[in-house]
Amino acid sequence: MTAPLPFPKRLPTDWKSDAMQKRIARRYASERRFKAFGMAAVLVSAAFLAFLLFSMMGNGLRGFTRTEIALKIDFPTSPLLLDPATISDHALANANLPMVTSQAAQKLLGKDADALLSPNAWLSIRDAIKADPTILSRVATISVPASTGLDLAAKSTGSPDNEAAYQRLKTEGLVSTGFNSTFLTSSDGTDPTQVGIWGAFKGSLLTMLVTLILSFPVGVATALYLEEYARKNWLTDIIEVSINNLAAVPSIIFGLLGLSIFLNLLHLPRSAALVGGLTLALMTMPVIVIAGRNAIKAVPPSIRDAALGVGASPVQVVFHHVLPLALPGILTGTIIGMARALGETAPLLMIGMRAFIATPPGGVTDPATVLPVQIYLWSDEVSKGFVEKTSAAIIVLLVFLLAMNGLAIYLRNKFEKRW
Amino acid sequence: MTGPAILLLLAGLGAIAWVSGRARALRLKASVQAQGTQRAPLHSLPGYHGWYVALWTVVPAFLFLAVWANVTPALVTGAVLDSPAAQSLPSDAFSRGAILGEARAVASGSQAAVFNPLSQALVEPYRAATSRYGIAGAILAAVLAFAGGAYAFTRIRPDFRARTRVERLVMAVLLLASLIAIITTLGIVASLLWESLRFFSMVNPIDFLFGTKWSPQSAALGYGNDDAFGAVPLFWGTIFIGAIIAMIVAIPLGLMSAIYLTQYAQPSVRKWMKPILEVLAGVPTVVYGYFAALTIAPALRDFAVSIGIHSASSESALAAGLVMGVMIIPFVSSMADDSIAAVPQSMRDGSLAMGATTSETIRKVLIPAALPGVVGGVLLAVSRAIGETMIVVMAAGLAANLTANPFASVTTVTTQIVQLLTGDQEFDSAKTLAAFALGLVLFIVTLLLNIVALRVVKKYREAYE
Repeated sequence: MTAPLPFPKRLPTDWKSDAMQKRIARRYASERRFKAFGMAAVLVSAAFLAFLLFSMMGNGLRGFTRTEIALKIDFPTSPLLLDPATISDHALANANLPMVTSQAAQKLLGKDADALLSPNAWLSIRDAIKADPTILSRVATISVPASTGLDLAAKSTGSPDNEAAYQRLKTEGLVSTGFNSTFLTSSDGTDPTQVGIWGAFKGSLLTMLVTLILSFPVGVATALYLEEYARKNWLTDIIEVSINNLAAVPSIIFGLLGLSIFLNLLHLPRSAALVGGLTLALMTMPVIVIAGRNAIKAVPPSIRDAALGVGASPVQVVFHHVLPLALPGILTGTIIGMARALGETAPLLMIGMRAFIATPPGGVTDPATVLPVQIYLWSDEVSKGFVEKTSAAIIVLLVFLLAMNGLAIYLRNKFEKRW
Repeated sequence: MTGPAILLLLAGLGAIAWVSGRARALRLKASVQAQGTQRAPLHSLPGYHGWYVALWTVVPAFLFLAVWANVTPALVTGAVLDSPAAQSLPSDAFSRGAILGEARAVASGSQAAVFNPLSQALVEPYRAATSRYGIAGAILAAVLAFAGGAYAFTRIRPDFRARTRVERLVMAVLLLASLIAIITTLGIVASLLWESLRFFSMVNPIDFLFGTKWSPQSAALGYGNDDAFGAVPLFWGTIFIGAIIAMIVAIPLGLMSAIYLTQYAQPSVRKWMKPILEVLAGVPTVVYGYFAALTIAPALRDFAVSIGIHSASSESALAAGLVMGVMIIPFVSSMADDSIAAVPQSMRDGSLAMGATTSETIRKVLIPAALPGVVGGVLLAVSRAIGETMIVVMAAGLAANLTANPFASVTTVTTQIVQLLTGDQEFDSAKTLAAFALGLVLFIVTLLLNIVALRVVKKYREAYE
């Protein structure tokens, strides 16, 4: 060991000196700047989120309401080809209702009435007749949806013409704004006043169902195998590497896989929830496996040892003891994976789920669309009325996603155990 | 019979088998116990005997049905072709196939009526053959189910190791499930490679990888194939948006957010802000894309015009990159968060005890120590950004420009994949197959980025005790 270095001879620091004080002030200022910068980063991120949500809300909430015109129709004198005794869907379709509607509107609103009324306004009349055939014998007032232009004017973003028409109708007390139940019950269409999310929503549900049925058992089984039974060998290594890679593969690649394998090779039906679910299941499975392995790893070995000690077989240990304890964690991961799959668009575009589909799917092999794809399709529409519909659909999608994520957080907090 | 009905029937048979197998085991148990031996009456619990019988009943029959369902269509078609009604069919294979297909659709009920009168005559033979083979399949499956069940039933003895057998099957199922990941990976690689090879048989790979002119539409219309598939503008657009603009947004914001939340913020603030930032990662990308296209892009264009850039496009690299950067913030911040938290408290305390301010400690001690994790996180974020599709599809534009002007419209690999594969799809054209070649490049690049990121994290992470 060498001799200690001589202590340097110098005066103690004069903290009170001007130079030192300045230095300290500078360091403190830099400290404050750094902290402020950090806070600003958090605030900017949060502000962006708030801006995004508010702008969606601002546009979207208007999509849930619609402007209606109270149309007075004198059924007995109208040129209606309908016998009150025999009302069927077929008879209603041939009953000249669009013309009746148009005539009643012109009588009420003047010659430019057709521009003020939704082109599908007669559907409301049809539904009203269906609900209560007795109105055919009297003068009835039925609320029918207004045209997109008038609707936008009512929400104060319309053209000057429409604004004027809206003011005129409003002073006459003919227009009202009501909850747009059509938006929740109908499907895609060409007229923004008539479109709804039910078709896409049902398609999303069916797709999610297929995804869950396929990815959950496979994901849990894989996690169990890898964590509990797999011996360390080349096969296990390959499985692990593939799962980690799959978790990082861009989603659009899964779309290409679905296109070339499920559609071109296996000839499964195009645009169907089945193929969408299959594709998303391959994407979701790695998420479930990774979450499942973490949950299984968190179960302490003492529980396994105790079960083995009283004579349980390795399979019994896992299925009677480890799996029930790990299940909340696995479920949390599954919900997060499903939420991601629910918001996924790109792979579904690849397998043809971007078609125009106006009827809700009846089964998993019917042509279907899903909420995110519906949003994408509407965002491309030229008609101005689709902007608020798109935002409204986004609100519905976000509500579901936030609910799923909230549920996952709740489950994690409720069942989180520390051994 | 329909698929679900058959499955239900099989499940019912399985349940009966389970009950009877278990009942037999219980009876055996009782009789062995009645003899009063010292040994355990049964090797396995009665339930396992039940499962053993049920599996022998259901599994062979199910496997047979799965095979049968794939074999019968050919057999049915053969039977129909042998029927007298098929004599009048045209000999050319294509129209023959169309007529048969129509008859099949009507016979199975998926189509209401025929267009071709020749098909009408084949509908009845089709129905007959289908039901004949259906009944034959059902009978064979039933025989298999009963034979399997009976075989398993007779094997039940007190010392029969039913549990071992059942558990072996469980293990086999678990192993099979975990092989799906490999199959998927192979499927991705095989399908991308296969279609890409077909593409590269039409287009020179060198031209594809190093060409600077991208105009698949003109190639599809037949204006010369040679130089229309130069993907460099797409690669540049992808890097420009995903690795440059998005990272300029995401790295400072993500890193500083992580630092603030781990080092400065009150626990209550942290508890609320962290999930709020994580919501940013949970918002679907189609929502970001819509937001970018509807709100951010026009605002940026107006801004660009107001500062004198008149070429500004309403679909700009900047709009897509900015929004993508915000989407990436949570990835960067959570990776940075983890690696900063992994730096031992003693190093922080040591620095503070020497008189360093908190920010000096963070900049000079924590960040250098956490750097591998941060770099790994950034690489993962880049990989995610270049694979992201919807934001760029909706906000970045379609023009393949080789430009560094952020207000110009650029296009990316993922945008072009979507463009090439929507609309008409004939799988022989270079235009459609180009999407798979782009997909292959994307797959390889993201894979390499991920591998490098994990290596960096693993290899250069400093180990502290």
